[in-house]
Amino acid sequence: MSKVNKPTYVSDAVVGLTPRTAIEEASRCLLCHDAPCSKSCPAGTDPAKFIRSIRFRNVKGAAETIRENNVLGGSCARVCPYDRLCEEACSRCGIDRPIEIGKLQRYAIEQEEALNMTVLKAPEAKKEAKVACIGSGPASLACAAKLAMEGYEVTIYEAEEKAGGVLTYGIAPARLPQHVVDHDIETVKNLGVKFIFNTKVGKDITMEALQEDYAAIFIGTGLWQEKLPDIPGVQLPGVMAAADFLKKARKSEGTYNPGRRVIVIGGGNVAMDCAVSAKLLGAEKVDIYYRRTIEEAPADMAEFQYVLSLGISITTNFAPAEVIGTEKVEAMKFKGRDGESEAKVAVDTIVFAIGQGAEDMGELAPFALNEKGLIIIDDGCKTNIDGIFAGGDIALGGKTVVEAVASGKAAAAEMMNYLAKKEVN
Amino acid sequence: MSIKKDLSIDYLGVKCENPFFLSSSPVGSNYEMVAKAFEAGWGGVFYKTIGIFVADECSPRFDHVKKEGTPWLGFKNMEQISDKPTEVNFENMYKLKKAYPEKIMVASIMGSNEEEWRKLAKMCEEVGVDLIEGNFSCPQMTSHAMGSDVGSNPDLVRAYSKAVAETTKIPFIAKMTPNITDMVIPAIAAIEGGAKGISAINTLKSITNIDLENMTAMPVVNGKSSISGYSGAAVKPVALRFIAQMLQNEKLKNVPMSGIGGIETWRDCLEFLLLGCRNLQVTTSVMQYGYRVVEDMSNGLMHWMDERGYDRLDDFVGKALGNIIPAEELDRDFKVLPDFNYDKCVGCGRCYVSCYDGGHQAIDWDGEKRRPVLNEKCVGCHLCLNVCPVTDCITPGEIQWKDGREKKEIALKKIYE
Repeated sequence: MSKVNKPTYVSDAVVGLTPRTAIEEASRCLLCHDAPCSKSCPAGTDPAKFIRSIRFRNVKGAAETIRENNVLGGSCARVCPYDRLCEEACSRCGIDRPIEIGKLQRYAIEQEEALNMTVLKAPEAKKEAKVACIGSGPASLACAAKLAMEGYEVTIYEAEEKAGGVLTYGIAPARLPQHVVDHDIETVKNLGVKFIFNTKVGKDITMEALQEDYAAIFIGTGLWQEKLPDIPGVQLPGVMAAADFLKKARKSEGTYNPGRRVIVIGGGNVAMDCAVSAKLLGAEKVDIYYRRTIEEAPADMAEFQYVLSLGISITTNFAPAEVIGTEKVEAMKFKGRDGESEAKVAVDTIVFAIGQGAEDMGELAPFALNEKGLIIIDDGCKTNIDGIFAGGDIALGGKTVVEAVASGKAAAAEMMNYLAKKEVN
Repeated sequence: MSIKKDLSIDYLGVKCENPFFLSSSPVGSNYEMVAKAFEAGWGGVFYKTIGIFVADECSPRFDHVKKEGTPWLGFKNMEQISDKPTEVNFENMYKLKKAYPEKIMVASIMGSNEEEWRKLAKMCEEVGVDLIEGNFSCPQMTSHAMGSDVGSNPDLVRAYSKAVAETTKIPFIAKMTPNITDMVIPAIAAIEGGAKGISAINTLKSITNIDLENMTAMPVVNGKSSISGYSGAAVKPVALRFIAQMLQNEKLKNVPMSGIGGIETWRDCLEFLLLGCRNLQVTTSVMQYGYRVVEDMSNGLMHWMDERGYDRLDDFVGKALGNIIPAEELDRDFKVLPDFNYDKCVGCGRCYVSCYDGGHQAIDWDGEKRRPVLNEKCVGCHLCLNVCPVTDCITPGEIQWKDGREKKEIALKKIYE
């Protein structure tokens, strides 16, 4: 019999480090001259520097490095795909295995919280120009924080009742506990960034109104449009899109009942998160179906391994063909990639994690959009409308949190250039 | 925003931006190296020792001591003083001082007789260095008229210190050798001779490892090896001890002290400062990790000062010195029993093994639960606490008073990292 993990919905999937184990792990670091880990972090978190600080017993300095470079350092420590970024680049791979950079980052940020450190401070003197960010996901938070640190007054408009976007509503808490997200957001709030909740721009307040009040606007609304395939029966109760499912699960704080038998369709990290959530919420049988092979799947290997450790099955090369049921979902039919195989599986809930689309951003303002409905931006994160910038998933498509942070930071730099020029004129 | 605190300190009348200096060694032996170190944040350099004698070096010249997975616990080196022509070194120092006027240039010099010491001191004055250090302590010189053979002879230390002090007004620092029983004696001799400061310690004479291929010590030089200087983390305790003894001496207590020996982290720096050092010198950790180690020394020290509410180094320099007292004066009225946290205990039994084999058989082993149980034989030695691999699992607990001794408030250490 295989030993299957049985954590709860809100328990940490991975145990953190202690002062001793952190030093041990940091001591494995080779302290490279031109550290490849630091070069491979999209957000510029500089792991080489913070690991060195931990090794030399300067954990406060480590936390400082992380926060200064990546305001969402706590969340990134939990959800970053290290195995294909900094850890894959680690020189130690040439000896045995990489330094556990994610765990060290998590440790430093945990110490920051435990030691009541306030690393980031906004200047007293405020700039004249005011800035708005739409959406409070990672791109917006990173953008707002960087602007606030330079003295801009920033207001974030969020359609939901809580900040964080995908961090709060789109990831299983076992992987990203809410308190970690809240601590990151607290850091942004401490910079004086204002949050206006339950306010969807375009519905509760117009874009024109924002354009009048703010000298520059950043759009970081992410991708929340549900995507369901065009197959028979997909409208039946019991069929859900991933975003909707994860949001329901997170909002319920673990009380949501996903049904006894759950099928998740997809091969990305979101699919893994849905499957994990379903399992931890109490579903007896959770199966993942993916239309291609594991090799072709976008999910990280670490996520596949975690899913497997919970006793969730993964079936590849089967695509959804039909949802069967009268009043609600009863079974799901699959067609094999080989054109011959077929499967019919009894099920209570089906979650489609096949990517999320953009809402109609054209309704918000006359943006130039690409064929996927994403906002087209130039190298400087500028949209076609003067004073409006965009970043994160709504401009880049479905990417990682750390890439959203990088994009938000880059946009903030461009917005400052733009505002500085505007002031001169 | 990175934390900012004032780390400047007056050392022998010279205002230093921080107390972090490179010690006289390979890490500060030419223009490019010192320039890079200054850029990295070092406050000054004790430029590699210059003599009239120009060293002829062997190859290889280094070895290190490891324990289990940790390399470089201690480091052995066989380099002598500079192998560059004397004029080249003085020219480098002159150029560095010009290019980095805010940084402190200390010339480390070594003569083999009074005349050479005077000559070198004169050259230092011509170049305009801020301070001069006399190297009385290198243990691997190929001449017995120089190095630690001089440093362990108080008369020579006094005479050479006098020779320098008579030649120049630039403050002179005498660098002590630990290869001696009582460092106070040569230190007083140096001050009597006119030295204004003391630096300690130079390296310990050592044999780090015996090579089984060649049946000699390490490093192997054509099948042979020599005794030579040992440095790094392993010598820090020796350095701290000599420094404390000197600064507790009535004649030396006000002498500005420069601390050397195994400094790697801001914690090490702080420990030397707390004993009363006003200057810190580093080599071995730079040889292992590079000049960048100064970043965390500086940043970590600033964080600690911030935590404790200190604004300048003078607020805490020497704060620990008075609390180091002779063994006969220690309070021996009580014992502190260890407290075992069974939730944190992982059941390795190391405390049991060490207590039985190296302590007082005061721990019984509950084989059923795989947990230690303290018995009445405990003397409060805390060997168990020192050997426990789990943070905060064994901690100081109940205080028991010896019969007939008066109970009182006592100061305990509570936090073990």
